[in-house]
Amino acid sequence: MRKFLVFLLAVVFALFVFGKEQVLHIYTALDENEWPIYVKAFEQATGIKVQVVRMSSGELLARIEAESKNPQASVWFGGPALDQIAAKKKGLLAPYKSEAVEKVPSAFKDPDGYWVGIYFGAIAFGSNQEQLKQLGVEPPTSWYDLLKPEFKGRISLAYPYTSGTAYTVLATLVAVMGEDKAFDYWKQLHKQIHHYNTSGSACVTQAGLGEITVGIAFAHDIITKGIAKGYPVILTFPKEPTGYEIGAMSMIKGAPEPDLAAKFIDWMLSAEAQSLMVQWNRIPINPEAKVAPGAVRMQDVNVIPMDFEYFGEQKDRLIERWKEEIEYGM
Amino acid sequence: MYWFKQIKRILNEPMLFSMIIFIWVLLILFVLYPITMVGLKSFQPKTGIYNFDVYKTLFSKKYFVTPIINTLKLGIVVASVSVLIGYLFAYSIAKVNIPMKGFFRTVATFPIISPPFVIALAAILLLGRNGVLTKGLFGGTPPFEIYGFWGLVIVETLAYFPTAFMTLEAILTSISSDLEEASLSLGSNKWRTFWRVTFPLSLPGVLSAWLLVFSQSMADFGNPLILGGRYHVLSVSAYLEITGSYRISYGSGLAILLLIPTLIAFFVQRYWLSKKSYVTVTGKPSVVRALEPKMYVKVIFTVVCLVFVTAIFLFYGTVLFGSFTKLWGVDHTLTLANYKFAFTYNWEFIKDTLILASIATPLCGILGIMIAYLVARKQFPGRRIMEAVSLLTFAVPGTVVGIGYLLAFNQKPLILTGTALIIILIFVFRELPVGVQNGVAALYQIDRSIEEASLDLGSSSNKTFWKVTLPLLMPAFFNALFTAFVRSMTAISAVIFVVSGKWNLITVRILGAVGNSDLAQAAALSYVLIGIVLVAMFLLRFLTINFSYQTKIRRAMS
Repeated sequence: MRKFLVFLLAVVFALFVFGKEQVLHIYTALDENEWPIYVKAFEQATGIKVQVVRMSSGELLARIEAESKNPQASVWFGGPALDQIAAKKKGLLAPYKSEAVEKVPSAFKDPDGYWVGIYFGAIAFGSNQEQLKQLGVEPPTSWYDLLKPEFKGRISLAYPYTSGTAYTVLATLVAVMGEDKAFDYWKQLHKQIHHYNTSGSACVTQAGLGEITVGIAFAHDIITKGIAKGYPVILTFPKEPTGYEIGAMSMIKGAPEPDLAAKFIDWMLSAEAQSLMVQWNRIPINPEAKVAPGAVRMQDVNVIPMDFEYFGEQKDRLIERWKEEIEYGM
Repeated sequence: MYWFKQIKRILNEPMLFSMIIFIWVLLILFVLYPITMVGLKSFQPKTGIYNFDVYKTLFSKKYFVTPIINTLKLGIVVASVSVLIGYLFAYSIAKVNIPMKGFFRTVATFPIISPPFVIALAAILLLGRNGVLTKGLFGGTPPFEIYGFWGLVIVETLAYFPTAFMTLEAILTSISSDLEEASLSLGSNKWRTFWRVTFPLSLPGVLSAWLLVFSQSMADFGNPLILGGRYHVLSVSAYLEITGSYRISYGSGLAILLLIPTLIAFFVQRYWLSKKSYVTVTGKPSVVRALEPKMYVKVIFTVVCLVFVTAIFLFYGTVLFGSFTKLWGVDHTLTLANYKFAFTYNWEFIKDTLILASIATPLCGILGIMIAYLVARKQFPGRRIMEAVSLLTFAVPGTVVGIGYLLAFNQKPLILTGTALIIILIFVFRELPVGVQNGVAALYQIDRSIEEASLDLGSSSNKTFWKVTLPLLMPAFFNALFTAFVRSMTAISAVIFVVSGKWNLITVRILGAVGNSDLAQAAALSYVLIGIVLVAMFLLRFLTINFSYQTKIRRAMS
């Protein structure tokens, strides 16, 4: 028995020593099946070991805020820039500049280097074609199409406070309609919604499975997780302009491994890494990178210019209003 | 004067004294302190300010009141339905001579050893808009909305009726058949005998089972997160408040509201109901003879059992089938890809979970046995309180524990967030009651005269413990180890607040996959987990058989 105890203590001790090895810790908002594409390639290219936790952007922001006295990860990888702007305002990020970051056009990065873009994405609708046929309706091509009685209880998206995708939807509506009108609209939409998810892209699979008929998400997620997987999903855009995101990454303030984080950010901006995004139908920021043939380009869709600084700053207030008036107000 | 004597007596036994202090330090630090932090935080809307604002908001805003009502409603319905089914099951097995008893009993315990949200996953696969049953039986429209109240009732009932069944089976087998036979020979019919004799005697068990299931349903996190839809319950609301909005005060307030009913249920069940037991002690060995009823009665009871067993098989079978499909709902070609994925991309999660649970389990078992030994064998002031505190985490919902650890160990002097230690500690202290309860029960069964004999023969009390008491405790110890291991492997509600990049858990990964609607992947990962639990179970059987005292004696004799 005592030998057993000694052995146990040795194991515990060994674990703590083992835990000290230099490893890069990343929090990512990218899909569980997407981040390994880049992270495995990075590990192979540099020999640096990486550990990743996946959370939705909102959860990620909350986590970094909770850990601000004792940061556990060095890089925030992926998810809309909006959330990273919100994090910058809260003083949770550290500025990072390098040669690779300099090359990124100024529209796609923070002027002070707090975040840098990786890809674009536009908000779109993913609809289950079989159910559309059953219901006898056309796929939605306007925000107001979603209010049709046929779609009642058949739409889903994520909570704007857990998911960067859904917050981008909220920001888009505010940008397109004006704030008060956007909230009036969402009150109507709320009655149509089957349920809210925590993760932004989950509604695509749900539409594919037929659990719901229409999901509201990013176009690349609808292509990759819906159409490319073989689900009977069709992609449409709202004809009033739709909104978009810049997917971004940033260094977390007090990062435990700043050198490795810098290496990762630089590598992620290289043409080599950016070309990997073909696999997820994303539009890379680096113009030298390859683009997937079916992917949606910014110029293909009617997009409204979005003031990310504003929406990043206003996030807490807008979310609060959303909860008060929409989620629980009705 | 009494206390003074007591304390003086303990000071004379430095070994005992230091052990008591050691255990109290651990219990205060890792059980009481985190829960207190949750309570404090709920009175602290902003740093440095203490008032009732949080609760005022919680009770005035509809969006907080609704989850409170929802949770209670769900708990009451699930507990009532589960107890009804559990009673039918237990009565059939304990009192009616139905066939295949062993089989029914084994199947009924499936849900206890499997990850808690597998049934919710199965419900989506079967009864979702695109579910197998929905398509096959109901022609494409689901019979009712499974995302919401009724879905949760079905799923939680299947998950928790085994608890009711086991509690009630123990009670029913302890009711001596003599009483029923007396009633029958005095001229009452079977129906009247049941209502006038058997049922009143089993009533404390019924209430006990009801409260247990009620607490489990209140504390459930995985199922409502997956299947709740727009039906919000407290555990999910607290989680969303904290991880989604970082409003820890509100999350803590919700957690406290969740804690109060479960604590009440726990204390009523443990300290009031347990004394109410009518179980008759006659001195004669109580004999349970199963009734040999009319054929049609037997058929009815068998059919009822069969229906539920079939439901369990259907649910678990669907998940098993789903784990081999290429793309659930669209392409049902069989493939091993999901398992390949589980063992390549998700190997880290499996490995971490195994390592953490394997470290936590023995620590938990040893600490549990230590406390059980002190509580059952030693006299010292605060003995009952120590027992109550060590059993407390049983009653505290995981959500509360998780928030408590997040609050308590994210600041100096004890920064533990992100370490393996914090997960291990949660495992150890959450499963501690298992070890304590098993240990206490076993110790009460071991006659003190055996230990006294050893002492009289000249062994020190230390040696007596290692050579006599401990070996006799081994079966209880291994049993506690197994339960602690299984519950750690499948835990989600507490640890979800403290997982980090360095240490990840497979249950969190499965929940992520379900949340992302990667149903086939989630199914495969669930079965990997179930596989590990089954291996552990056989290992335990092997250990208990080979290390138990009885076997050693038998070996020595032959």
